[in-house]
Amino acid sequence: MTRWAMVADLRRCVGCQTCTAACKQTNATPPGVQWRRVLDMEVGEYPEVKRAFVPVGCMHCDEPPCMHVCPSTATKKRADGIVTIDYDLCIGCAYCAVACPYQARYKSSDDTLRPDVATKCTFCVERIDAGLAQGLKPGVDPEATPVCVNSCIAQALHFGDVEDAQSNIRGLLAENQHFRMHEELGTGPRFYYLWDKAP
Amino acid sequence: MKRVPTYCYQCVAGPDLLTVKVEDGVVREVEPNFAAAAVHPGGGKVCVKAYGLVQKTYHPDRVLQPMKRTNPKKGHDEDPGFVPISWDEALGLISQKLVGIRARGLLDESGYPRVAASFGGGGTPQFYMGSFPAFLAAWGPMDMGFGSGQGVKCYHSEHLYGELWHRGFTVSPDTPLTNYLISCGANVEASGGVVGVWRHADARARGMKRVQVEPHLSVTGACSAEWVPIKPKTDAAFLYALIHVLLHESPRERLDVEFLYKHTSSPYLVGTHGYYLREPASSAPIVGGALEAKETHVSLETGADGEVLAEGRLEGETAFAKLVAHMKPYTPEWAAEICDVPAARIRRIANEYLDAACVGQTIEIEGKTLPFRPVAVSLGKTVTNGWGGFECCWARTLLAALVGALETPGGILGTTVRLNRPMSERHKSVRADADGLMAYPFNPTDERHWSARPNIRNAYRSMVPLAADGPWSQALGPTHFSWMFLDATPPGLPRVTLPEVWFLYRTNPAISFWDTAKLEERMARFPFVVAFAFTRDETNHYADVLLPDATDLESLQLIRIGGSKYIEQFWDHEGFALRQPAIAPRGGARDFTDIATALAERTGLLEPYNAAINKGTLGVPLKDFALDVSRPHGVEEIWEAVCKAASRELTNGAEAHGLDWWKEHGLATRPFPRTAWYLFPTLAAKGLRFEMPYQERLLRIGTELGRRLHEHGMTWWDKQLAEYQALPAWKDFPGIWDSGEQYPFWLLTSRSMQYAWGGNVGMQLIKEVADNIAGHSGVIVNAGKARELGIHEGDWLEIATPQHSVRAKAVPRQGIRPDTLLLLGQFGHWQTPVAKDFGMPSMNSLVPMSLELTDATGSGADIVRVALRKAA
Repeated sequence: MTRWAMVADLRRCVGCQTCTAACKQTNATPPGVQWRRVLDMEVGEYPEVKRAFVPVGCMHCDEPPCMHVCPSTATKKRADGIVTIDYDLCIGCAYCAVACPYQARYKSSDDTLRPDVATKCTFCVERIDAGLAQGLKPGVDPEATPVCVNSCIAQALHFGDVEDAQSNIRGLLAENQHFRMHEELGTGPRFYYLWDKAP
Repeated sequence: MKRVPTYCYQCVAGPDLLTVKVEDGVVREVEPNFAAAAVHPGGGKVCVKAYGLVQKTYHPDRVLQPMKRTNPKKGHDEDPGFVPISWDEALGLISQKLVGIRARGLLDESGYPRVAASFGGGGTPQFYMGSFPAFLAAWGPMDMGFGSGQGVKCYHSEHLYGELWHRGFTVSPDTPLTNYLISCGANVEASGGVVGVWRHADARARGMKRVQVEPHLSVTGACSAEWVPIKPKTDAAFLYALIHVLLHESPRERLDVEFLYKHTSSPYLVGTHGYYLREPASSAPIVGGALEAKETHVSLETGADGEVLAEGRLEGETAFAKLVAHMKPYTPEWAAEICDVPAARIRRIANEYLDAACVGQTIEIEGKTLPFRPVAVSLGKTVTNGWGGFECCWARTLLAALVGALETPGGILGTTVRLNRPMSERHKSVRADADGLMAYPFNPTDERHWSARPNIRNAYRSMVPLAADGPWSQALGPTHFSWMFLDATPPGLPRVTLPEVWFLYRTNPAISFWDTAKLEERMARFPFVVAFAFTRDETNHYADVLLPDATDLESLQLIRIGGSKYIEQFWDHEGFALRQPAIAPRGGARDFTDIATALAERTGLLEPYNAAINKGTLGVPLKDFALDVSRPHGVEEIWEAVCKAASRELTNGAEAHGLDWWKEHGLATRPFPRTAWYLFPTLAAKGLRFEMPYQERLLRIGTELGRRLHEHGMTWWDKQLAEYQALPAWKDFPGIWDSGEQYPFWLLTSRSMQYAWGGNVGMQLIKEVADNIAGHSGVIVNAGKARELGIHEGDWLEIATPQHSVRAKAVPRQGIRPDTLLLLGQFGHWQTPVAKDFGMPSMNSLVPMSLELTDATGSGADIVRVALRKAA
């Protein structure tokens, strides 16, 4: 069974926001809406301080809190793990935005394509589906890969099938120590962060 | 939908390659050029700036037709009253001025060119200005020395001294091989472009350790293994202490003694007057029998102006021995006091550097066995400009030489030349001088050839021997002289005058220069200013005519790519790439090539203009495809010829693809040998030495320059003359900027990758994504210090020098020294659409233009002491 997932290598990310800009362009999100963005975080106190750049967005959780609170069933989960929103069903109540522990959901009246409904990262599902239909491999063939991954100039972002033992991201997860955000909440996020080589 | 291949060269870290998706005649998206991934060292990708090109094309505030000023009064608060005019009228206004100038003579009563031109972005406008360089060549003398802020905004000492020592206008670690990198303020993750980011990420992944030495925790510091929060402008002391550890605390054999003895001037004998001892018959420097030696020889010691200072049996000491003595006082304990970095930490870093240097090891590249020295020191902008820049560049180059990591695999590389010729190939610029060193095209300082009659207003030829006299030298002179001396030209120089016509393209010095208020005040007096304008901005506010050129995705040009160029742009391939119209120019915008041709025709310069194109001004000599010089040619016709000539060069005559082929493919390359990244083998093959550590040539030309200036009553450059030293000593560099107790903070700036080079400051997309990075909305202040001063996030603060003040919102962060403030980028816009609403100031309005703060190369530093208080 295919399970799409994103991998961000925190050793490589430089916070350039190229992925943010590429996502905004391809998905035509309005000002202020960033399905993919990169946080600029500090930990510690001067002079013992670390600064890190952390790409965030929808984690396409195994147990998406946003889906469970959706009163109109607009939010669904596909068999391949991608969490989707049916804009025709969404009533714009924003329960999902409140429920999402990753602050990944937006609602904007400036969004001319999706006015006043919930939106978020789709893993560029249209590209994945169109690519698969052409026999391409998401995460390997650019045409079938999310644009944030394609645009990354540090090779920090990777995409692939986490259930495929031969996939690019399985190799990365095997070779490196990694974590997922807020795993303790039981959401089962499918966004993995690499931070060091495996011992 | 179609995909159009093109290039992005919005900053000096380019070019990078992209494709543009066009649907129904509308540019929709920017994408990497995946087809170029095999040849482009950044995977065929483009950075965030290129994604702003769609908004740039469709910017609602674009200037889309020629405009002329109707208000003759010029001033910050004067409305220029721009009104639309036809191209015919615009070109008529300009050519009338130009023809008049040609009739009266190209030089004015002071001997300065009556026409001036300013281009921004470290030469990048050239990659967007089509055939305009041919117009400039046809015109004759033009003053290109007004600058766009270089001097405080560039790596000035690195440019000049880097070229002198190892043909390194820009100096980079050999990142694909370097294992240990000490980065003093070099912000490569923000300024290294796609290739820099790509390579450094790879290097980190394979285990390269980077130590970031910098007063604030930049994005590069964030991605480094270690951050050393050094006190501003003390980097030279830190580097000197590293050298001390290598020379005085480590066994000599751990250094690359063979490299030093055979390939540097270390064993040259220095006489008691500080000049080399020379063979009486040949005048060649005498090489000592060992690296450290005192010897007596029948010899000559010749000083400045050929003066024989001593002759006979003279005792000399090797340059290396003098260095060892010179560096003895600079212990880590000494530096710790100055740099606010513990001595133990300095010592550890020095030893880590030495341990990682792999002295004695070799590597095979393309069948050649070369030294393998995977250690490097890189320097940032404020470290390499202004006072202290020379000492830092010298120390960095010496640190490489001591372990043989100068121009060898893994070490530091000078990736391009701009002052030596030929500019296209730095290896060919390696020529011998009489002393067994690389010859350098110093501006003359001898009595017969030095001149107090400069060719342009910034007087680089008279004042800065290191600036040389090539096409780039005007921009590398003390550009602020052109502005400072307008009101008070110092004794000895012809009175500095206003240019009668000033061309501007892709530059906004009213924002990017130093002391911008003073600059504007002078700009308002320029009688006739022609600005190629994308939108209104702070500089073209003073223009008389605005010309809308077709922008990045609308115009046509072929450029060279690959080989070895700026920063990290050293490739395994070289060739050409085409920038082509993805859509037709919007409104009345015209391709720059057509504008240049029209100007040439109207000013009677068509024949020399075409001849310049034929000769190769557009990047490649046209040879068999030469244009008929007697008639004007359209943009496609001109670039068709260039494309064919480029094809022919690239394939050694086998093919001559025209424009259609290049439009389809976008680029073509051939392999570029990796061994060409390294200059060491070329020097070794020619039997030449790097001039390290001793700077006899600098001592000589400095002494001569001082004599010439004094002979002409010019004593105002005396402080700068002291910089010409054979072995530079530490001076109290931070003290130079001291403004008294009321100004306790250092104000620094740092590159914003999203805005770097500024041409995209008016794009909403860029503003939105840049704001995700701290510091784009205000001044960064240490969080602890902010707490102490009762400052909270978002509070309005006043940042003041004795002369000026600016306001900014507080951004408290942990990653900055308590005595330092940081204003990212260059903002302070009041006219540029979108940007004028940012509410972000710039330190450029606080940095004074002054002789006191100008070093011998003619540069200041992007740094100033300030007071900080909550704004009322």
